[in-house]
Amino acid sequence: MAMIQSSPVSPPAPIELTPELTRKRRSQFEIIRDRFLRNKAALVGLIVLTLMVLAAIFAPLIDPHDPNAYNIALQTAPPSAQFPLGNDDLGRDELARLLYGARTSLLIGVTSMLVMLVVGVTFGAAAGFFGGWVDAVLMRITDAFLAIPYLIWLFTVGAIFSDGSVKSIVILIAVFSWANAARIVRGEFLALKEREFLLAARTLGASDLRLIFRHILPNAIGPITVIATLYVGFNIISESILSFFGFGLQPPTSSWGTMLNNSDAYITSDPLLVWAPGIAILITVLCVNLIGDGLRDALDPYMTER
Amino acid sequence: MRRYLIRRLIQAVAMLFVMSIVFFLLIHAIPGGPDRVLFNPKLPPSVRLQLRHQFGLDQPLYVQYWNWLTQVLHGNFGYSFVDNQPVMSDVGARVGATVELFVVGMLFALVIAVLLGVLSAVRQYSITDYIVTLVAYFGISMPVFFFGLVLQEIFAVKLGWFPDIGRASLDQSGFTPLQVFEDYALHLVLPVAMFSLLFIAVWSRFLRSSMLDVVKQDYIRTARAKGLSPRAVFFRHALRNSLIPLITQVAIDFGGIAAGAVITEGIFAWPGLGRLFLSSLTDLDYPVILAMLIFITASVIIANLIADLLYGVVDPRIRYS
Repeated sequence: MAMIQSSPVSPPAPIELTPELTRKRRSQFEIIRDRFLRNKAALVGLIVLTLMVLAAIFAPLIDPHDPNAYNIALQTAPPSAQFPLGNDDLGRDELARLLYGARTSLLIGVTSMLVMLVVGVTFGAAAGFFGGWVDAVLMRITDAFLAIPYLIWLFTVGAIFSDGSVKSIVILIAVFSWANAARIVRGEFLALKEREFLLAARTLGASDLRLIFRHILPNAIGPITVIATLYVGFNIISESILSFFGFGLQPPTSSWGTMLNNSDAYITSDPLLVWAPGIAILITVLCVNLIGDGLRDALDPYMTER
Repeated sequence: MRRYLIRRLIQAVAMLFVMSIVFFLLIHAIPGGPDRVLFNPKLPPSVRLQLRHQFGLDQPLYVQYWNWLTQVLHGNFGYSFVDNQPVMSDVGARVGATVELFVVGMLFALVIAVLLGVLSAVRQYSITDYIVTLVAYFGISMPVFFFGLVLQEIFAVKLGWFPDIGRASLDQSGFTPLQVFEDYALHLVLPVAMFSLLFIAVWSRFLRSSMLDVVKQDYIRTARAKGLSPRAVFFRHALRNSLIPLITQVAIDFGGIAAGAVITEGIFAWPGLGRLFLSSLTDLDYPVILAMLIFITASVIIANLIADLLYGVVDPRIRYS
């Protein structure tokens, strides 16, 4: 058994503060941001999406015509100087309808995502964190929602209950998509619950609430953000499918989906009416997906640079 | 294994019951109820009462449900509001068309997805991979019905290569079987192309990542070290093990596949169950809607069950207690 010598310990020599030691470290946010920005596809997606949003916001400046002003004389007219994209089946300005429709579609996409996220994360977090009977009950409810395909639910409930307003569509989409989000969030919480840092925090006496908000949630933000982004695109498509089949928005509210519904009959005589909103949806969702994938790659701690 | 099967079947039936109650309540929860659809709003109240009694609508909900349930267990789903035919006969007339679309579509999607996924994985980061990935991104971002409309416009209307709607154009008599077959086949091309796009995109990406994970495993290295040719390693080990997760994914996606079938049938006027569902929703034909919802739920449950069993067969590590 070694004898512990008590020898006077002199204070350590002062450390020389070299530039290497004092340079500013990048924060986690900055690291992720830089990784995201290096992803060219995601960058392109971000730029294009921003342009689209700006176009939607500044629609009246880009095209001064009223999107709802119809003029039977100009029915399905081809593009002209005054109407760059021509006119639709009621003589309305196609470009204006596209720009204002962007507002509706984007608004529905984002709003329904936010509502869905709030409900889904709450359910998923509660189920994942508390486990036991809370988990069982919440999962049973979620299973009931997942028993039939999401689109079938949308069609059925949309056809029966919807009054064609933006609000009811937003609620409709949110109500039937939160189940999937809840399930994913629950998975994240279950996985994070077992990690050591949580055990450490719990041992230090942290309350449940503190554990959730201070420890687990910040770590789950990554996958949640990715889900949120991807669901914006998914919801835009859902709304357009609903409106296309007549179960979604009703006139006078219009979106890209309703534009497709109207133009379906004119697919042979004036295909531009079909292509315009369709391409718009495609580009928007593509951008959103690129951004979402870029975020996922940027946030993935195991992703090695290639 | 048998106990597991029985347990799952019981769960499935229970789920079906619960969902049938949910659907039933849903349909009767609308403001105005089935009255709104059934009866001319201008009917004098006395006639309305009489009709309500005739249809059994004046009884308490649980009685109505019980009546409906007992009838259903005898195979009678009631009569369509639209054409007054038994729902079962409406459904029966259309099952074949949907099965045709479904089977051909899924087979096609699976084969192409596996091909593309494997190609992408084997030539990772090459131009081929890049192109396949690009196509997959488009497939995922494209609103499915828009793609169908585009296909219709370009290939059916403009180029005239394929018929634009329906399942067959020839009447059954006066044509050789080969011509009839050709007719059916031509009609299938566009709907199948649209139907399978999304899943080819998703599944090929999935298979690609699955293969990449499998190839990194130690047993693959061992197989090669043993002296097995790359081709043998690929077919005997890599491919098989990559396909297993795909089964689960297909089962999870089954709901989406069913929804895709509904949309495809809507766009191409395909005379199947999906189209029946859509028209029943537009017309608010409740008996048919209810029957279709039950049918869809049952299909999803069965698909999940088959997938679980298949998983147990294919993966020898899984043993059901």
